[in-house]
Amino acid sequence: MAEIRYIKAVNQALADAMEADPTVFLIGEDIGAAGGSFKATRDLLDKFGPERVYDSPISEAAITGMAVGAALTGMRPVVEIMFMDFTTLSMDMLVNQAAKARSMFGGQGSVPMVLRTPHGGGLNAGPQHSQCLEAWFAHVPGLRVVCPSNPADAYGLLRAAIDDPDPVIVVENKALYAMKGDLPDDREPIEIGKGRIVRPGRDATVVSYGAAVAMAQTAAETMAEEGIEVEVIDLRSIQPWDEDLVLESLTRTHNLVVAHEAVEAFGVGAEIVARMADIGFDQLDGPILRVGAPFAPSPFGKTLEDAYRPDASQIVAALRRTLA
Amino acid sequence: MTDLVMPKFGLTMTEGLLTEWHVAPGAAFHAGDVLFTVETEKVANDVEAEADGVLAEIVVAEGESVPVGEPVARLAQAGDDAGSAGEQTQSAPPVLDPAPIPAPAADTEDAPSARKLMAEHDLAREQVPPSGRNGRVTKGDVLRVIATPLARNIAAKEGLDLHSVEGSGPMGRIKARDVEGAAKLPPRSQPAATPEPAPAREITPDAARLATARRVSAAKRDIPHFYVTHEAELSALTGLRKQLNADPDAPRVSVTHMLIRALGVALSEHPAMNRIWAGDKIVAFSQANIGMVTQTPDGLRIPVIRDAGGATLDDIATQARDLAARARSGELGASDVGDGVISISNVGMMGVTSLTPIINPPNAMILGVGAERQLFRPDENGAPALRRELTLTLACDHRIIDGADAATFLAEIVALLETPLRLLRPARGTADQNAGD
Repeated sequence: MAEIRYIKAVNQALADAMEADPTVFLIGEDIGAAGGSFKATRDLLDKFGPERVYDSPISEAAITGMAVGAALTGMRPVVEIMFMDFTTLSMDMLVNQAAKARSMFGGQGSVPMVLRTPHGGGLNAGPQHSQCLEAWFAHVPGLRVVCPSNPADAYGLLRAAIDDPDPVIVVENKALYAMKGDLPDDREPIEIGKGRIVRPGRDATVVSYGAAVAMAQTAAETMAEEGIEVEVIDLRSIQPWDEDLVLESLTRTHNLVVAHEAVEAFGVGAEIVARMADIGFDQLDGPILRVGAPFAPSPFGKTLEDAYRPDASQIVAALRRTLA
Repeated sequence: MTDLVMPKFGLTMTEGLLTEWHVAPGAAFHAGDVLFTVETEKVANDVEAEADGVLAEIVVAEGESVPVGEPVARLAQAGDDAGSAGEQTQSAPPVLDPAPIPAPAADTEDAPSARKLMAEHDLAREQVPPSGRNGRVTKGDVLRVIATPLARNIAAKEGLDLHSVEGSGPMGRIKARDVEGAAKLPPRSQPAATPEPAPAREITPDAARLATARRVSAAKRDIPHFYVTHEAELSALTGLRKQLNADPDAPRVSVTHMLIRALGVALSEHPAMNRIWAGDKIVAFSQANIGMVTQTPDGLRIPVIRDAGGATLDDIATQARDLAARARSGELGASDVGDGVISISNVGMMGVTSLTPIINPPNAMILGVGAERQLFRPDENGAPALRRELTLTLACDHRIIDGADAATFLAEIVALLETPLRLLRPARGTADQNAGD
């Protein structure tokens, strides 16, 4: 067991996958010589050479299009899009090609590609470099979306994504890149679609993913001081998401809060809440609440951004409301 | 096709128990035929056909209670092809009002279904926030219980009526803990080694008992009662009664009859007391109608002596005797009950000293009468003097009557009883109107 930073876990997963499978290659802006804007691909150019670590022109549409084409011919490309905000330019390739190929070719073709991209704020990067757009991808049938909350998951989910025969969007929270955590020695992929109970509890459930998991844990600690035991679930995978796990937890706690850093309106939280209001209706003993960012672009300035980003105190407030 | 609806007998009837159908579905009937029998809290009433027709379909079976104005059957008028589809529903037949005195419009406009539900759940009207026009309570207002799905789930499993559970959540929302608290009222841990209790039998109450139970519960809960008590010295009254009853041709007069007359005179002379509280308004009566609580084999009945202020003592005696006899034989008609301001409940024959009674809605008062007793009281010189006394307890509705008014009124009744010749005079308030002979 070794302590490792989140960004290093990503780097390790890429290296291990390339080691294990010669069809895996990397493509993105500044990922080669520069080692990536966040250093996710550091040293990989030296290790695997320019044919497998490919510095691309600054054109997200072209990068994604090349990856879709390569994947259709049997390669396993891993795309890095520098900021999730720039995936707007990748959308046509992802939505109309990558997501559709398996169904349109009668199951005879697939697109085993991965698109890695960082989302989230906290770095005062402004409205065009802080967005959390995972709900867009989760809305498209044919795409899978995962969002690791810690270094070990960053490793395991990325390995699973690369192994997966279909396109997977791996959303990394850039505020977590410096996070330290243990990486097991026998490093295994983590099954996509399965969540994890991070903290067991009796009185309420907080469902979260990415950076919100740590916020939920802090909120649970605050509530525990008052004798209220909050269960925290890390979804790990957003599409598909672990409906069974959430329902099972709700059946025990009868109160539910869904927290994410993305804008609250029309988001992942809305989907989870709607499903639980349906299949979990008779279990509910309070309103199901969401915690998310307000319906506004992310501000630049530190004080404004601090106010904009959801935090543990908002999860505590939501818990108090549903438990009232 | 026409709907035959539950008629309204009297001021306060909200629902009726349909006890019997006299016409079978599909059968023809003629105007004046008895169609069905309705039992209200007060009496059984036969409902007669207003015109010839055919009973197309029975909607309400025997033994069911329905709110006033709800359909109980569908009629095909003579000439109609019974059961043919597509006819327009004609307006319902006018509500029967057999009461001879004009009934003041004291009832609410609440939806009949809402009134039925409120009665079923023992809810006072004040407890239900109305949402309809002009403050009308709708069915939805009564049904609206705010509870979480889990709370509803548990309540359903426990067979608990959520109307009876108090919510502790925001805006009174009923949460699971509230239902669990309510369901766990019998303590879980039984104290050890308690002796086996003698087995108790469960008896299903009949309609009359249920109606009484519901009525008195509502009365005691909703009416803010207060009580004033006064002793009446009866020597003069007893003497007068003896003299009156010495005449074999005149009706026999009882103490109760004289009390009714006294109430009639007192009400006529104090018209401000001849009023009842009817929800959001006050109904003032022009006559002194006195209810007479009568024990019958079917439970309590309260026939009403009409115009006890204007009627003579002999009239009252005759009327009261006739009403009591008909109450005991179950032959009271709709016009024999309802619409009084006060009732009298005399349990003196059982020997009890006094009775603190519950007001019979919509009355504003009830007079509890104890047994006549002989006892010594000090006279002016402090020497014991033998007296015949009666304890009168007047229960009043504080929403419309204040303490001083009640005390004055009861003192006036006692004064009338202690100077009983006044009972033979016309009441002062009515004397002017009757003057001229």
